Amino acid sequence: MSEHGEGHKGAHARLKAMKSLEEILETAMSFEETAGAFYAALKDKVGKPLRELVGELALEEAEHYRLFKALRDNPDIAGQLSGGVQVPAEDHNFSKYILLPDLGSDPDDQAILQYALSREDAAARQYGDLAQTTPEGPVRDLFLFLAKEELEHKAELEKRYYELVHSGGV
Amino acid sequence: MRPENYRPVKHPPSHEYELYFGPNHPGIEGNYAIRVRLKGDVIIEAIADGGYLHRGFEKIMEERLWIQNVALVPRICVPDPVPMEETYSRAVEMIGGLEVPVRAQWIRVMLLEMSRICAHLFTFGGNAATIGLYTNMFWGVTMRDYFLDLFEEVTGARIYHMFITPGGVRRDLPEGFLGRLGNLLDELERRMPEFEDLFFESAVVINRASGIGIISQEQALSWGVTGPNLRACDLPIDLRRDDPYLVYPELEFDVVTVEGGDALARMMARRGEVIQSIRILRQIIARLPSIGGAIRSPLPNPLAWNLPVGEAYARTESSKGETAFYIVSDGGPRPYRVHVRGPSSMHAVQVLEKLLIGARIEDIAQIMFSLDACPPEVDR
Amino acid sequence: MSDIRPKYKGSLLRPMKALSFLFREPATLPMEPREATELYRGFHLNDWEKCIGCGTCGEICDNSAIRMVDIPGLPGDPAAGVKARRPAIDYGRCCWCALCVDICPTGSLSMSREYVHVSRDLDTYLILPDEAGMHGENFQKGWAKSEDSDLLDLTRRAMGELEAEARSDNFNEVTPGYDAQTALLEASRCIQCGMCHEACPAHMHAPEYIRAIWDGDMERAVGEIYRTNPFPHVCGRICTHRCETACSIGRRGDPVAIRWLKRFAMDQVEPEKVQEIALKNGIAKSTGKKIAVIGAGPAGLTAAFDLAKLGHKVRVYEARPEPGGMMRYGIPEYRLPYDKLDADIEVIREAGVEIKCNMRLGEKENLQNLRKGNDAVLISTGMNLGRSTRIPGSDHPQVASAVDLLARITLGEDIKAPKRIAVIGGGNVAFDIARSMARLQRRQYGAVNMTVLALEERGAMLADEAEVTEAADEGIVLVNGRGPKQVKISNGALAGLETVKCLSIFDEEGRFHPRYDESDLVLHKVDMVIEAIGQMSDTSWLGDDLTEALEWRRGRIAVDDDGRTSENWLWAAGDLVQGPDVIHAVAAGHKAAASIHSAVAAKKGAVK
Repeated sequence: MSEHGEGHKGAHARLKAMKSLEEILETAMSFEETAGAFYAALKDKVGKPLRELVGELALEEAEHYRLFKALRDNPDIAGQLSGGVQVPAEDHNFSKYILLPDLGSDPDDQAILQYALSREDAAARQYGDLAQTTPEGPVRDLFLFLAKEELEHKAELEKRYYELVHSGGV
Repeated sequence: MRPENYRPVKHPPSHEYELYFGPNHPGIEGNYAIRVRLKGDVIIEAIADGGYLHRGFEKIMEERLWIQNVALVPRICVPDPVPMEETYSRAVEMIGGLEVPVRAQWIRVMLLEMSRICAHLFTFGGNAATIGLYTNMFWGVTMRDYFLDLFEEVTGARIYHMFITPGGVRRDLPEGFLGRLGNLLDELERRMPEFEDLFFESAVVINRASGIGIISQEQALSWGVTGPNLRACDLPIDLRRDDPYLVYPELEFDVVTVEGGDALARMMARRGEVIQSIRILRQIIARLPSIGGAIRSPLPNPLAWNLPVGEAYARTESSKGETAFYIVSDGGPRPYRVHVRGPSSMHAVQVLEKLLIGARIEDIAQIMFSLDACPPEVDR
Repeated sequence: MSDIRPKYKGSLLRPMKALSFLFREPATLPMEPREATELYRGFHLNDWEKCIGCGTCGEICDNSAIRMVDIPGLPGDPAAGVKARRPAIDYGRCCWCALCVDICPTGSLSMSREYVHVSRDLDTYLILPDEAGMHGENFQKGWAKSEDSDLLDLTRRAMGELEAEARSDNFNEVTPGYDAQTALLEASRCIQCGMCHEACPAHMHAPEYIRAIWDGDMERAVGEIYRTNPFPHVCGRICTHRCETACSIGRRGDPVAIRWLKRFAMDQVEPEKVQEIALKNGIAKSTGKKIAVIGAGPAGLTAAFDLAKLGHKVRVYEARPEPGGMMRYGIPEYRLPYDKLDADIEVIREAGVEIKCNMRLGEKENLQNLRKGNDAVLISTGMNLGRSTRIPGSDHPQVASAVDLLARITLGEDIKAPKRIAVIGGGNVAFDIARSMARLQRRQYGAVNMTVLALEERGAMLADEAEVTEAADEGIVLVNGRGPKQVKISNGALAGLETVKCLSIFDEEGRFHPRYDESDLVLHKVDMVIEAIGQMSDTSWLGDDLTEALEWRRGRIAVDDDGRTSENWLWAAGDLVQGPDVIHAVAAGHKAAASIHSAVAAKKGAVK
């Protein structure tokens, strides 16, 4: 996925070095922004039957971006976070078993969803790892919050994957 | 008014007059009436005039599913409803070839005998009231009510039990029921001497009831008299012994006969039958706990239950006489035709009309009650 | 015993003993109601949560005292067999026989120990019983549902089947069908509540045809069946029977075998007679309108049948050599014999439908021509491509798709079944291919080595229970709770399938969200892997222009409620719109036909 340049590689070091919640959020926002741009570009390349799906993925990334931005602009980030991370979502490692595909020039619906799933999975894993190595405090809470957000998005995508690929379980 | 009862108006001689007796008269059993022609206070002609309870049972039954009729039949005889349910169900079983589990047969006999006791107690009371002994009526109704409590326990209802269905019965007996039945029988036996004192051996009763409404043996047989009324003519005829059904062959009891054929004899025959029913129930209390198994054989979905083409006549010795159902099935989910042989249709019409001739007006009620007629059976 | 005639004894004072009653406890009762017995049949109680509004209580009521009342705001669920209505009882008619309680399919009705109601207001005698009781005083339950007095027949008559030895090396039909007596008994279990009718996507008149079977009138049954379904032989065998899911008898027992009864009725009537009954209303005078249907599956042929009966000229274009679609090329012959499918299709042909096979669009004919030459076009090409898991190694040539293989078996291709096969999937398609390939294995090697790997646990299988047990009888091994991880390949040959333990499939909210135990890895050594996880449609033949012009929804062609696409000349119906299922396809075919009929009727002039 590095070839699409949404920048998860080496992000660990970049995030680790950060001190303020605002800085972390800004980095997270930049990830979402890159992803949003990626889907927006993909939307023009795929055929019409897939455009709805890709468009929705782009919208969802944009929604995430807005969420993180609102959080960053909130004067009381730490206060907001403590509520948001009380029940961290659990990672069930589903996406590991979906091969992260090389999204070629003409991907189909299954490939796009598998790609999106791996993206969310990788992001969630990233934030989760960071939270584990961060001492307790607002920074750790923020990482947990970000991991939870990505996992929730992944769960939504999994549902869609099931409906599409397993065609109702026949 | 039934067509055969119609008589053109005759202008009577001046010393005769006509009295319409009933249907709201306290001396009439149920909603029933008798038109009597009197000379002084002696009856010279009596014409039974039923129809007040006509609800068209037989016809309605043709419109109802086999199972639905279970809810209808007990209404044909209010004081003694169990034989109606049992006989209907048995007729259906005969057509459909259904087996009734043994335990259910025992429960049915128990209910039949309990119902017989209830009916007789009710009749003692009514009979006493017709000659002015109201205390006895209260006692009879009281004792009957204790039995109704037991019916409620077993069947869920006091009068219209709707408990016996083709194939068996609807529930098994509740815990400890037979013990409570035994206690009640003890109580009834304790009370019987009091009934003797007040009623059966009372000078008033003996003097009023002796020689009233006499039926000879020949008359009884030719008029279709059955049940205690027949046995009061000293004729030992009892379907439980002569054409046994259910588990009666396994039970010991005497066929109670009384000489005389008059109102007193009929009263005494019933008294004797209560004693015999207690005897039968005691045997059931002893035997029933050892009889296990199902209480109902499986039925098809009652909404789609076609009985085979056929016909059956099932009869039961009820407290009134031979109660029977003649059912014809055309292979459908409902009876094609049902005929109910209510014993009272003989007792309350042809027998009563004849017995009243020559009797005095104050004996009308007594004669009718001594026959233990049940008007809905006439009007079914 | 004739000496009991009494003699007058004692004195006139003897009756005076009755005075002793003055000192005894009275037998009469106080005014307040006494406690009724445990079985008492008092006023009704009804558990609204359990009640499904089937109305059977009203059917059995011998006094017509029970009337079903629609309850505004109450949720109904036709698919689950719940109607938004509840029984109301008129105590002016009720005789407290409790037959309603004894027949109640759910056991929601019972009677309380309460028996006193006094009012001058007659309206208070008409009540809608609930759990609180007549006066909301929570009297205890009296007469309630009991096994002893249950009036329903809860046990389904078993369908026989060929012994495993007799069936597992051939494609003979597994189930022989009911005999007349069994069918009659099974039909007699129906209480005619109509839940099945509402649950069926095509709204088949199941109560009516079951009653006709019970009456022994098979021709009437066939007539009832053909009112809504031109694939009765097919649906009598392989329908997903939503009717049985909704069946009221199934609340406490086995649902009525509606599918087998339909099959029984169809098998009893001669094909010529079936045709006569199916077309008894005749074919309407020709309208001169022409309609093209693409794809001869259940949706397309149903629509074609309807349209032909309405007097339109219908031509069906089918890519494969024979019509039937997935019914022929997806469902194995041992479940649905081809002659039965042919019988259904013959009736459709008899109605005037012309079916042109071996006509793949884009080759001999194209959509633009069809558009020009017809008043309307319906596409019903189904979902006949298999989905792949796309796990590593799944592109190996020995990894096959179930739907491809099933079609090749029907086409009579000579298929070499390897000695050891694993099937990925837990639905009916997985079992169809496993059982078909196992038959080939047995033919070729005299032994079966077939493993079905399902993500689901045994109790939550998507496949029909009969499929699972019959497969086991045929020697197929089912392994539950395994998720595919990768296909192992060594030296270019397929070495096996590696699976991982699946802990759970759905999250608390019922979303697909499998959890795996990565430490639990198993390598299944097989020579071939068959994927049966899902299907998709091929819509590439529509062409870029039409693909761009059409509206799409969730990757499928978007249609309105009647099956019309965003292009006003084009309709779409069946699996390609709503996913795989025959009876849904039949229902969609009817809707599309009705919509096409009204659209072309409004059109002036005919296409030349």
